[in-house]
Amino acid sequence: MALRSDILASSGTRVPLMGNEAIARGVIEADVRVIVGYPGTPSSEVIMTLQPVSKQLGIYAEWAVNERVAFEIALGASIAGVRSMATMKAPGLNVASDPLLSSAYCGIERGLVVLVADDPGPHTTQTEQDSRWYAKLAKLPMISPSNPQEAKDFTKIAFDISEDLGIPVILRTTTRVNHTISDVILGEVRKIQQSVKLVKDEARFVRAGMTWNLERHRWLNSRLKLAEDIAAKYSLNSSIGYGDICVVTEGIAHEYVAEALEELGLLDRVRVIKLGLLYPTPRRFLAENLAQCKTILVVEELDPFLEEHVKIILHEGNIRAHVYGKYSGHFPLEGELSKNLVKKALEDVLRGSTSSSFSEERSPLSPQDLPLRPPPLCPGCPHRFSFIALKIALSKRGYKLSEVPVFGDIGCYALAVYPPISMLWTEHSMGASISMAIGAKIAGYDKPVIAVIGDSTFYHAGIQPLIEAVNKNVNILVLILDNNVVAMTGHQSTPAWSLSESGRPLRPVNIESIVKSTNPDFLATIDPYNLDEMISLISEVIDKPGVKVIIAKHPCALLERRTRKVEKKYYVNTSTCKGCRACITATGCPAIIMEGNMARIVLEDCNGCGLCTRFCPYRAIKLLQGDSA
Amino acid sequence: MRKTVNILVASVGGQGGLTLSRVIARASVLNGFSVRTAETLGMSQRYGSVVSYVRLGDSVKSPLFELGEADYILGLELVETLRRIHYASSNCVVIVADEYKPSYAQSTKYPALRTSDLVEKMRLVWKRTLIIPARKLAERAGSVRALNMVILGAFNAVANLLSRVSVESAIREVLSDYAISASLRAYELGFEYAQQAR
Repeated sequence: MALRSDILASSGTRVPLMGNEAIARGVIEADVRVIVGYPGTPSSEVIMTLQPVSKQLGIYAEWAVNERVAFEIALGASIAGVRSMATMKAPGLNVASDPLLSSAYCGIERGLVVLVADDPGPHTTQTEQDSRWYAKLAKLPMISPSNPQEAKDFTKIAFDISEDLGIPVILRTTTRVNHTISDVILGEVRKIQQSVKLVKDEARFVRAGMTWNLERHRWLNSRLKLAEDIAAKYSLNSSIGYGDICVVTEGIAHEYVAEALEELGLLDRVRVIKLGLLYPTPRRFLAENLAQCKTILVVEELDPFLEEHVKIILHEGNIRAHVYGKYSGHFPLEGELSKNLVKKALEDVLRGSTSSSFSEERSPLSPQDLPLRPPPLCPGCPHRFSFIALKIALSKRGYKLSEVPVFGDIGCYALAVYPPISMLWTEHSMGASISMAIGAKIAGYDKPVIAVIGDSTFYHAGIQPLIEAVNKNVNILVLILDNNVVAMTGHQSTPAWSLSESGRPLRPVNIESIVKSTNPDFLATIDPYNLDEMISLISEVIDKPGVKVIIAKHPCALLERRTRKVEKKYYVNTSTCKGCRACITATGCPAIIMEGNMARIVLEDCNGCGLCTRFCPYRAIKLLQGDSA
Repeated sequence: MRKTVNILVASVGGQGGLTLSRVIARASVLNGFSVRTAETLGMSQRYGSVVSYVRLGDSVKSPLFELGEADYILGLELVETLRRIHYASSNCVVIVADEYKPSYAQSTKYPALRTSDLVEKMRLVWKRTLIIPARKLAERAGSVRALNMVILGAFNAVANLLSRVSVESAIREVLSDYAISASLRAYELGFEYAQQAR
């Protein structure tokens, strides 16, 4: 959303920026040279914002094949002497966790920052993972902004801290910071002397020497001890107000606290301790500021991370105070917080009730009883063709849909879980479709087993499971749904592209040749828009032994309609439509709606795939003639 | 200090609900407001329920507001607007397009609803509702896709929060080149319609 001119505007300008755009501006202000990531909501817009301006700024801003590769590229670049960053959503950090932990031992040359975006809610993530634990696990400093302004400022600071301490820094955000637009005041773009050179230092960079590793662990711990003092230079933590009632908070929760206190008229009665440095816990800062507190409410989303640390510090400092938060039941362990939840907890704590149960939100109006609207596959989506072909082929071979498991993967095609397609049995983590299908077969499941995986997910984590399947001679059908883009997260490039979003020429890596090199028992590529061919292909191979791979290749319909005009449109002939709804129940296409007793195709939504025409028993769906299409 | 204004935008994914909230956010900054929006992006939100929050005032902190706290609900679709109606504060004005996009669940239910059924229900549930013939006005402006800008025009006619210049430049800045002229015209038509309807 941000304009090129906003991102590049001069210091002091006030512009509306989304949290991720603000981080992108922070990257520019910090003179970062390399930023790599894998798309994942809510983290994607940082790289997307930088790509159009990266060439002119001399920044390498590209998508990598997965998060671990992204992190390792950033680590390599940092060790080679330039500031670098890796971006990812929470599960992406799991993928990158192996090199992340080792990187703490070798440290960095130039600032290295990892952005991890958590998703309390959750809105778009498979788990409500609290990535704050990674800081503790990896022994790396973690800082956390509360709003887009801080997101920009803290990004810059993260690079300074990384260089001050000589280790990577984790910048942790949540959806309500990443995807909030706010007025942001831009800062100065600093030019930093960065020269590329690599030092050969085995004790530091080779983790094969156990004596070295022990030594590096000592070194890391000694660096971490400095973190609080160094962070203090940047005023990441603050304590505002007086009194013996304290709130300890961080991130977006702070914004709810601020508004709750204001509404309750408690601003001058409660001390608010806001942490920007989450790890290592700023022990002295907390001990000093909590020393006068009798009552402490810890306000944080997801796990009681701060709460546990606060309790340790109180214990160490022999400070007697009551601590309320998740353990006392004042806040839920799941979902997002809100101003009202904070208000309720504050009122309870001030009334002196030591336990609480949070109540549902109230409203003078009762919610209307309306059916949910889960997102369907788009009109013209090639995945719809693939799943319908699979459904028909299985029926043709005499299988019940309830006996053939379809192991799914992460991407738009997971929306096939909803009716009327209802063809997805699992969706776990990147690449899990093929591996879990292997497991089901090895366990002895005697009906066909199918794995469905998208092109980008295949590049990301599907290649190794395919190798495993071929190597172990497992009988599975693998459908690779290749729409030539990372569609779900906003249409990012894949390794099949020849030009990146930043204008960098790429050498396409072809899925078919990767699959071929694993030597499966069967491999075919087909356009799923040729529905009949795809049905017969699946029927032909479903019962054959070995690993069968079908690549269903057709570009994302949504991207197609953006890049070129829709050439065909269909309409419902109202004189022949009987209102039987077969077109809707067969396809679930959202461009077809029921209005009264008649189906109607919403003209601006139709992508002209024509799939609906074959399911109309009255041939009432017609191609629209003329230029109104 | 001015009271923070809470605006909820309810739409079906693909209708331009997020664009609408971003234009408001941008125009608000041009008017000197402190702004926060909250939106949920990613996941294929196309044709799903989409809601975004916009807050403007002197010093806004939280990007979200609570049920019963919306000063305005801007609806691009009737069902989605009804779905979020419990966000309305007692003085809330609902400005909604007379647009019905049945979900799969609704399209397979008997009997199928008509747009007029939902308009009636909307009026019944919330008195201060302004129903806008937004599709018709957007078509007149040159593109049905400018339906969101019709609602923006109606909103600003009612709320009178943003200067005309600021909205126009926000539209020019946020929308793609090919959509700007229809969007500006749609804004005008929505504005005029709401002024006359009041």
